[in-house]
Amino acid sequence: MWMRIKRTLKALPKWQLGVLGIFFGIIFLTIFGPYLAPFPTETADPLSRLVPPGGKHWLGTDENGMDIFSRVLAAPRTDVVIGVVATFISVVIGAPLGVLVALYETRGKAGATAFAETFMRLLEVMQSFPVFVFAMVLVAVFGGSLTNIIIAIAFVNTPVFIRLVRAEVLTLVQRPFAEAARAVGNNEMRLGFRHIFPNAFPVVMVQVSVTVGFAILLTAGLSFVGAGVRPPTPELGAMIASGAKYLIIEQWWPALFPGIALGLTVFSFGIFGEILNLAMEPRAVRKDLDRRRTNALESAAGEAAAVPVAVAASVGASAAPVLAVSDLSVAVGDAGGQELISNISFSLAPGESMAIVGESGSGKSVLVKSVLQLLPFPLEVTSGAVRYGDIDLVGMEKRKLRKLRSREIAAILPNAKSQLNPLTTVGAMLTSALKAHEKISNKDAIARSIELLEMVGITDPELRLSAFPHELSGGMAQRVCLALALMYRPRLLIADEPTAGLDVTIQRQVLDLTRDLARDAGTARLVITGDFGIAAHYCDRVAVMQAGRIVEANRTEELFASPQHPYTKYLLSCVQV
Amino acid sequence: MRFAAYLGLRFLFLIPQIVLISFITFVLVRMLPGNPARMSLGPLAPESAVEALREKWLLDRPIFEQYGAWLEKAFTGDLGESWVNNTYVLDDLIQRIPVTIEIIVLALIMVFLFLVPLAIITAARTKNRIVRFFQNITFGYGMLAGALPDFLLGLVLIFIFFTHAGILPGPEGRLGILDFESPFVTGSVLIDSLIAGDFDNFWSGAWHLIMPVFTLAFVYGAPIFKMLRSQMEGALQADYTIYAEAVGIKPRTVFLRAARVASGPTIVITGVVVMFLLGGAVLVETVFNLTGLGQYAVQSIVTADYAPLQGFVSFAAVFTMLVYLAVDLVQFAMDPRIKAVGSR
Repeated sequence: MWMRIKRTLKALPKWQLGVLGIFFGIIFLTIFGPYLAPFPTETADPLSRLVPPGGKHWLGTDENGMDIFSRVLAAPRTDVVIGVVATFISVVIGAPLGVLVALYETRGKAGATAFAETFMRLLEVMQSFPVFVFAMVLVAVFGGSLTNIIIAIAFVNTPVFIRLVRAEVLTLVQRPFAEAARAVGNNEMRLGFRHIFPNAFPVVMVQVSVTVGFAILLTAGLSFVGAGVRPPTPELGAMIASGAKYLIIEQWWPALFPGIALGLTVFSFGIFGEILNLAMEPRAVRKDLDRRRTNALESAAGEAAAVPVAVAASVGASAAPVLAVSDLSVAVGDAGGQELISNISFSLAPGESMAIVGESGSGKSVLVKSVLQLLPFPLEVTSGAVRYGDIDLVGMEKRKLRKLRSREIAAILPNAKSQLNPLTTVGAMLTSALKAHEKISNKDAIARSIELLEMVGITDPELRLSAFPHELSGGMAQRVCLALALMYRPRLLIADEPTAGLDVTIQRQVLDLTRDLARDAGTARLVITGDFGIAAHYCDRVAVMQAGRIVEANRTEELFASPQHPYTKYLLSCVQV
Repeated sequence: MRFAAYLGLRFLFLIPQIVLISFITFVLVRMLPGNPARMSLGPLAPESAVEALREKWLLDRPIFEQYGAWLEKAFTGDLGESWVNNTYVLDDLIQRIPVTIEIIVLALIMVFLFLVPLAIITAARTKNRIVRFFQNITFGYGMLAGALPDFLLGLVLIFIFFTHAGILPGPEGRLGILDFESPFVTGSVLIDSLIAGDFDNFWSGAWHLIMPVFTLAFVYGAPIFKMLRSQMEGALQADYTIYAEAVGIKPRTVFLRAARVASGPTIVITGVVVMFLLGGAVLVETVFNLTGLGQYAVQSIVTADYAPLQGFVSFAAVFTMLVYLAVDLVQFAMDPRIKAVGSR
């Protein structure tokens, strides 16, 4: 816990640290503010009305002659307390209700589901009252005492927590740990409250901070229109309201200082929520971890390079290669960033197939993206060339590069289903791809798309054209991608983990199909995989990658027969149990 | 077909929801402190007259009976009378709804003209200097706008542009004190003055609208802006966008398809914001002295005026339900993954 706080604080930008300071300052004032005020905060002094800032009254005095500085110091006691207590009540009531509703919904019994559904509809009805007006009516009905204001604000915020917790529990219930807890024999209620709810807690905490800010804003708004806290209690909204009429006649201080205080309060609660989010969500602090892991990889790479091995350098340089990568390095950002792949060189002859094998994190995918010129923003090629025939792809104009894509250089990227836009049909994807590369009528494009789908063995291609990606199986999506890759019989196919996530029989089918179609078209293949079996079975040559470098490359049979580099030996020993 | 079924189902849900909302409102409003018959007749009226009026207004009957009577009248368009001003609520609403709708719609138009393009431009991760500049500015905006109370922004604007600079008109309502309103057609200052061909009034109206509309757009545009930007950021870095580029699909198409994915959640949040705008209008109308729905509600709460409050809250609820419905329908039409049944 302490470590996590420390790490989060370190990762924060300076201004957020400043806001965090203000936040704790406001908490401090909430507790001690009224005792620190140099002047009485609720006693009028008709002799010193509307004194400008300076002198005895640092921030001036208001229409009743009360010292604004003192009142601003004392105000968090009202505003923040209302916000915090109201939010606390909303959570205490809303969160358990959210868990209950979600449990009823997942129980699967008709009665329980109907109950949950009705409850959610009722909630929708409640939420359809405009929040502000609803709170106003509640305060008007029950009277404007502090307790009633708190209850009204708590009441309008409760649905937020019911919804939030319900949504969280609904997703958490499907997680393996919930399944396990159920399998061990926990009953439904225990499962919900002991096992699942604690996991929803971080999300709730973040929302709490945001809601407190919102509740403070609501309190101030209510008081501003005269339906909330009433003067002379020091409250920011009421102070702004009483100052508003003087603002127009140049006496700005009675309204502006409380206004700034209100803005700062809400702002700091909002930022505190974001900081909490950062601290709670493991992903957010990853930056730090990433750096550590890259360092480990680098030192491993250093050791490996120290081992004197005959790396079969520039292998396979026979006739003019289709693809020649030389001395390629990619780093994060500009000069001085972390290097992700270093000095990679290899080449690929026409029609040849080559596998690049390595563990996850070895830089395989970065290599693919850099060859395809698709590196995401902070990553950049820092040295080397990617030559396709005579052309260097690195730094090539995007417009010219696009002409090459699919027509000459095709790509298959991992996990086909996530590669297809969820809102674009298979037909739209195929026809737009065709239209991007040739002048073709809509009708012809559709006919070609059907042919392409037939080619990759998809049944009922006409029907599939109107299918969305979520309606396809993984294997089917992979076949669609294959159709896209081979629509122009390209000279080079780069396949990154082409079968990840597919089951074994489908894997075989897709790989066989890819090999056969590529062979027919004379396409050279670069296959990136973590699976030595695929490499051995489908590729002429194999290169082994470790920590961003190619440590060994050779013809497939030779590499398997006599691995040279210790890392290759190690990987092979893992496979041949 | 799928769409028609969904539409029918939603409308089926709508009617009981609206009835329920009006009933809850009815009960709440009747719980307001104060005796409306006494308030209407004044403190000097004899007790017997007050009793008679109570009977006439059915205030002595059980709440269900009162509600039934109200509902029956409401169907014929009679929403009751204000006890304070002796005006018909329906007439009041017709006068005031356009005022509020006008600032809400104009604020939304401003959001879509300025903030939406900004969000889309600043979503791309690039080294482009101009984009970087806008990214820094909008980052500050996103931070600020969530924390700024709308009424405070309105006051500060008045202080700067009216009191100090004297460029914009002060909080004197929809038109200047000496301007006469154009004949009522739609209720919108801008449209009515154009219909009447009174361009002086049109400019005066537009001039008076600048600050309230800017206030609403600035404060309530922030959630739309933030949502669209983060969604667009995600969509532009998503696998499917990179893959579409790898296939060589035209950049315009790739971009539009990413924007389409990003627009789904943005539409949802826009619906929520429209609902909040109705609440925000209450405060902004108070600050700028606009005679819209918000002011109407505040006055009727303060004076325990049953009928106007009932009318206002019922309108607000129906309005909100319709906005939610519209949002759901747009989403349903756009996203094939949403099934016809089931709630959000």
